[in-house]
Amino acid sequence: MKKNLITIVIAAVLVMIFALLLFTFQVRQSEVAVLTTFGKPAANNLDQPDLYFKWPWPIQQVYRFDKRTQNFEDKYSENLTADNTMLLTSVYVGWRISNAKDFFPKFAGGSVEVAQRQLETMLRSAKAAVIGKHNLSDFVNPDPKQLKLEAIEDEIKTAVQNQLATQNYGISIDFLGVKKLGLPESVTQTVFDRMKSERQVLISEAQFQGEAEATKIKSAAERQAADVLANAQAEATRIEGSGVAEAAKTLAVFQQNPELAIFQLQLEALKNSLNQKSTLIFDERTPPFSLFQNLPANTQTK
Amino acid sequence: MSDHEHYDHSPAPPMSDAGSQALAEALRSSFVIVKLALAALLVVIFAAGFFTVGPQEKAVILRFGKPQGEAQKMLLGAGLHWSLPYPIDEVIRIPITEIQKVSSTVGWYLTSPEMELAGTEPPAGPSLNPQIDGYVVTADRNIIHTRATVSYHIDDPRTAIFNFANGTNQQFNLAGVSNAVQNAVNEALILSAARFNVDDIITRDIAGFQDAVSQRVSELAEREQLGVAIDQVQVQSVAPRQLKDVFAMVTTARQNRDKLVNDALSEQNRIASQAGALAASITNAAESARTRYVTAIESDAMAFTELLPKYESNPNLFAQLELAKAMTQILTNVQDKIFLPQRADGKPRELRLQLNREPPQPKSAANP
Repeated sequence: MKKNLITIVIAAVLVMIFALLLFTFQVRQSEVAVLTTFGKPAANNLDQPDLYFKWPWPIQQVYRFDKRTQNFEDKYSENLTADNTMLLTSVYVGWRISNAKDFFPKFAGGSVEVAQRQLETMLRSAKAAVIGKHNLSDFVNPDPKQLKLEAIEDEIKTAVQNQLATQNYGISIDFLGVKKLGLPESVTQTVFDRMKSERQVLISEAQFQGEAEATKIKSAAERQAADVLANAQAEATRIEGSGVAEAAKTLAVFQQNPELAIFQLQLEALKNSLNQKSTLIFDERTPPFSLFQNLPANTQTK
Repeated sequence: MSDHEHYDHSPAPPMSDAGSQALAEALRSSFVIVKLALAALLVVIFAAGFFTVGPQEKAVILRFGKPQGEAQKMLLGAGLHWSLPYPIDEVIRIPITEIQKVSSTVGWYLTSPEMELAGTEPPAGPSLNPQIDGYVVTADRNIIHTRATVSYHIDDPRTAIFNFANGTNQQFNLAGVSNAVQNAVNEALILSAARFNVDDIITRDIAGFQDAVSQRVSELAEREQLGVAIDQVQVQSVAPRQLKDVFAMVTTARQNRDKLVNDALSEQNRIASQAGALAASITNAAESARTRYVTAIESDAMAFTELLPKYESNPNLFAQLELAKAMTQILTNVQDKIFLPQRADGKPRELRLQLNREPPQPKSAANP
């Protein structure tokens, strides 16, 4: 009996392992699976990682897809803007399989490459339509309010999303951005020529500005200095005037005897004017030489 | 099995008892072997669950396809780890370092690492080929080269590892998310350049441009849910090789302009302080003149008050005395004195004066 029990246990374990392999399957974190019963897909996508039950082939079959975000970049291609500028653009797209059961009947073998070819076609038309609606000033602009590059990205994204939704591809776009933005090769040369002349203008502008600014600063400084000096002169005059006014208060003293005052002043003036380095010509009438006049000896000798 | 039975039966057919005994014996021994084998198998299964993780990688255990552990705990670091055997657990290894780095792929002209190291650049043609030479268009429609290097770390391993694919293989690595970060950097460069003027990017506002790029990369990383955190963005921008000389000339011209202005400013300071000093000396002189004048008048008044009684007692005598005193002083001080007596006949004398003050003197010539 014991022998039989062991045999049964071993057999059961083997059968269980076999059954597990046959009747279950796993879906990984990065995957989404579709279960078909006699070729007909089930209503639900199995997008949560777990262990699932299935009937063995040929009743049920499992199709797995990568649900991770795929990176796709289209070719660097030329489009005309609304103001007839040829613009080169390339965009990157983060897309993923959002609905595997819609996705896999549409693309051979659920191939990502085939899906991307489809995506590229859609992008091409969406880009042409959106870029053709905008002027170059929407793509590059120093004014953040007028720069519409982000809006353009959104418009392309929305256009592609709409197409994907109407055709029910089971693909969704997570993000889309401009990867490259440029001008045709021949245009770069004319841009260089323009940049060169702009630089020349800047060079002469800098030279002119420097001189003008320096002259302006210097002349302003000189004007200010003149103002300061003029104010100082005025102040000096005022100070001297106040001195005269103050001195005038002592005038009353001199008024006690104006004759004496004038005499004193004259005397002082005389002293001051006949100071050194002056020549005095006088005759005998000038005091004190008037003394000579009355000398009797003088007349006698003459 | 049938072979086995046949082998058991053929050499000793006689006794059914002995035969069944022998069979039981054989079975027992084979069961022992099976038991041992089972035990060995268990040990092997248990031992096989051990795995090591190297220093440049992390591991994640998927149990029935589901990553174990939340956030950073999901990543198993270097060392020895254990998991359940294969169909239940699956160990995936991800090459990962603490800090991830990625550089932009647009915006720079075609060059090679060797040239970068040597500091040389490829010869510049008259135009830029869009297929090989990268560049960005600035807000003022200039063409310049710019590139950025981003350092980031994985913030949410589940998102970063399991949400981004690289190509069509089923491998798990960070190439997918790295690619997404790279494109975010590319977009950030193009978008930021589209709203900055060339002079701001290259000279006037280098930091501002770098901040704008950095901000945009972080914004995109968040919006696109890349599961990474941006640590640092470094941006380098240069004028096209074709226009290097003129750009350098503008810089020189601007430096010259600044020098001229700075010189003028120091000249302004000099003029202002000079004027201030002169003004102060003018007012000071006026002040002292005033003081001198006022005190002179006051002392005159004082002298006058003292003299007044003397004068009033005999005005004529006083005047004569004062005049005589003054004359004494004058005659002492005067340089030349010419006495010209009256002619005897009383006729006026004719006097010729040669008005030439300050006749040249050796003394004055000596003094400058």
